[in-house]
Amino acid sequence: MLSPLRRIAGIVGIAVVATLGITACSAGSSDSSSSGGKSVVVDSSFDLKTADPNREYETTGSIVAKALYETLLTFKGDDVTKPIDGLASYEMNADNTVMTLTMADGHVFSDGTLVTVDDAVFSLQRVQGIKGNPSFLLEGITVAKTSDTTLTLTSATPNPALPYILPNPALSVVNKKVVEENGGTATDADGAEAYLNGASAGSGPYMLESFDVASQVVFTKNPKYTGDAPAYDRVVLRNVQGPTQKLNIQAGESQVALDLNPDQVAELGGSDVTVLSSPSRYMIFLLLNQDPSVSAITSNPDFLKAVKAGIDYNKIVDLAGDGSVQPGGFIPSLFVGAIDASDGNQHDVAAAKASLAASGYSGEDVTLNFPNDITVQGLSLQSVAESVQAQLKEVGINIVLAPAPVATELDAYRNGKETVGLWYWGPDFPDPSNYLAFTPGELVGLRAGWAAGADQTVTDLAAAAKAAVSTDERQSAYAALQKAQNASGPFVPLLQPAQNVVTSKSITAVSLNPVWTIDLAGIK
Amino acid sequence: MSQTTAPASQAQPDVLAVAARRRLRFPAALRNPLAVTGTAIIVVWLVLALLAPMISPADPLAQNFDRLQPPSAAHWFGTDQLGRDVLARVLDGARVSIILPLLLVVSSLLVGTIAGSIAGYFGKVADEVIMRIADLVFAFPTIILAMVIAASLGPSLTNAVIAMLIVSWPAYARVTRSLVVVASRSEYVVAGRLLGNSPFTSLGKDILPNIIAPVVVLATLDVGTAILLLAGLSFLGLGAVPPTPDWGAMVSDGVQNFSSWWISVFPGLAILTVVLAFNFLGDALRDGLDPRTADAVKGRAL
Repeated sequence: MLSPLRRIAGIVGIAVVATLGITACSAGSSDSSSSGGKSVVVDSSFDLKTADPNREYETTGSIVAKALYETLLTFKGDDVTKPIDGLASYEMNADNTVMTLTMADGHVFSDGTLVTVDDAVFSLQRVQGIKGNPSFLLEGITVAKTSDTTLTLTSATPNPALPYILPNPALSVVNKKVVEENGGTATDADGAEAYLNGASAGSGPYMLESFDVASQVVFTKNPKYTGDAPAYDRVVLRNVQGPTQKLNIQAGESQVALDLNPDQVAELGGSDVTVLSSPSRYMIFLLLNQDPSVSAITSNPDFLKAVKAGIDYNKIVDLAGDGSVQPGGFIPSLFVGAIDASDGNQHDVAAAKASLAASGYSGEDVTLNFPNDITVQGLSLQSVAESVQAQLKEVGINIVLAPAPVATELDAYRNGKETVGLWYWGPDFPDPSNYLAFTPGELVGLRAGWAAGADQTVTDLAAAAKAAVSTDERQSAYAALQKAQNASGPFVPLLQPAQNVVTSKSITAVSLNPVWTIDLAGIK
Repeated sequence: MSQTTAPASQAQPDVLAVAARRRLRFPAALRNPLAVTGTAIIVVWLVLALLAPMISPADPLAQNFDRLQPPSAAHWFGTDQLGRDVLARVLDGARVSIILPLLLVVSSLLVGTIAGSIAGYFGKVADEVIMRIADLVFAFPTIILAMVIAASLGPSLTNAVIAMLIVSWPAYARVTRSLVVVASRSEYVVAGRLLGNSPFTSLGKDILPNIIAPVVVLATLDVGTAILLLAGLSFLGLGAVPPTPDWGAMVSDGVQNFSSWWISVFPGLAILTVVLAFNFLGDALRDGLDPRTADAVKGRAL
């Protein structure tokens, strides 16, 4: 016999479960029946830290900032080769040192006040002043108001990348008055972050309804938005891991899933969903140390040629699934200056064996270091390393894998102590100048033991690329630089893994972009 | 097993001879279903491990097949994310995942027994020093300490085994010490010393035969734990270096390809069967040979 107390507890328990079940069902149905509430659920794996646009520099942070705020310049769709007008239009002087921005008329913040040049100057100075993660984007740049409608960005050295940097959501324009009232300043004493985590102060298509760094962010339509009104009144951005995202999109619990890896996407084959696969902005590469004191083998030019010809690039692209591509050089296919895969390194076993014979290599073990606890777009670097090892073995090169947690391996990489390393590069801004780091004496070059002056041809081409002004000049200068690097440099660009976005059939369009991943207002 | 029962029915007049032979025969404790099952599974796995290169359907390292194929007639266990045959890798992995823990248990048995005997027999400073070191190791959770050691030495099978040796010898030292302390006070040992035996002769001839049974039982029970510990280290990327097939590392690969269940299920089943088999055997041995330590080692199994 059950005691009365237990029986009551049992009844209460059943009632609670029943209520939860009913509410869960109703919540699910209101999300998917889009006609009334018009809301959409987006699943993403969060790396969110803050909703303060001038402090965020994370993938999820950019998605949030892009929905809530507008930037002075922007990109149209996924084309990052040409910046277009946002809150302002721009003009560069001849030597790329002074950029003049003229504010466009008619943009208003969500509280109804006009977006002015003061707001723009304050926002950019705030990014610089609070010394947060995105502050480096405006390093060495002086922001000044020059009239009631114009401001200038002045840098000491030519900075042709600036128009490509300004569309970054971290450089969003915030409402100066509102932010200042809530403790905001353009110095590191700024205290507006807490306020901006609870409410937005921008002119973007959405306003912040609720914000929780660990679970979800809810957006509601900004009635004062002056651009094309978004199709959905309400967007819920949820923190969900890859495998669960797959289940949710299949069950109709969510309408957009952002973090499925190629294998998970392949399993969705029979489901009623739309898959958009495109190359991501990440570039996975192999580096061979050119410092003879680190390795006499990898610093041998013939050995380098043997490795470049010994890798079966198509096989590695297959490994990464649909949508991934081999970049021709170290600049990903999305950006100005990218070259086609057919102009890049080619798999040629005979040539590899010939170069290997010329190098005097006689079967010594060569260590390949890589971090084994990180994935790039769902692809583990270990799979790539094991594939490279098997391919080079066919040519006659004995690679020994040395995996380590990224926290320990990063030091060896940054100090240029790795014999052969497998890493990836995510651009800080979508401009080829970001990739000058891959030249002798520069950041990543030094990590490969490629000291300044080690390769005069490449150094000269890098200088020419840096000095090029027009888009066409830059395109050809960067192409020449990459071809020279492919011929003699220590970097072997392997792969751009795919960015997969899966949507339910009710979604007709999503707007993706390598800088901010997805524009929530572009979901139709 | 029929062999073990047959001679018992033939009554022998010489009682002492029967007793002597019985000691050599398959112990009665092992004549139960669990022990037989355990032994059979272990034998099967050891044979598979030894014959792996001959019976394997493919080269465990060759990336020759289509990726992520589910189990089929051509690939009984499917293929992994690089197009390698999972069956070939499970078979080849047995060589690392079973034989290495066996060697490890034997070495920690040796190290632990020697250290424990010295501590228990000589006492005083030797006892204090050795047992305080053992306490130091006991103070940390086993897997955490092994991870720290393996991580600081760098991932490789050798380093994983060193790490596991460091964390596993104190258990043997402690058991041996307590047994030696008791045994060394026995009259036959004292008598042996009075006859002029050196301490090491005394330890080897008089004490060792009387304490070895419980220690061996402990070791048998420990094999399962050792297999799990090595698999755990490999799972965390601190054991086998890729592309060496290792069950723990294979389970870890499978976790990254979550919906290709066959990548992790088959090595997982292999770990399960082997660990279970060693625990069955160890339990049966304990019940038969050494009822005294039953309490001491309870909870270590599985």
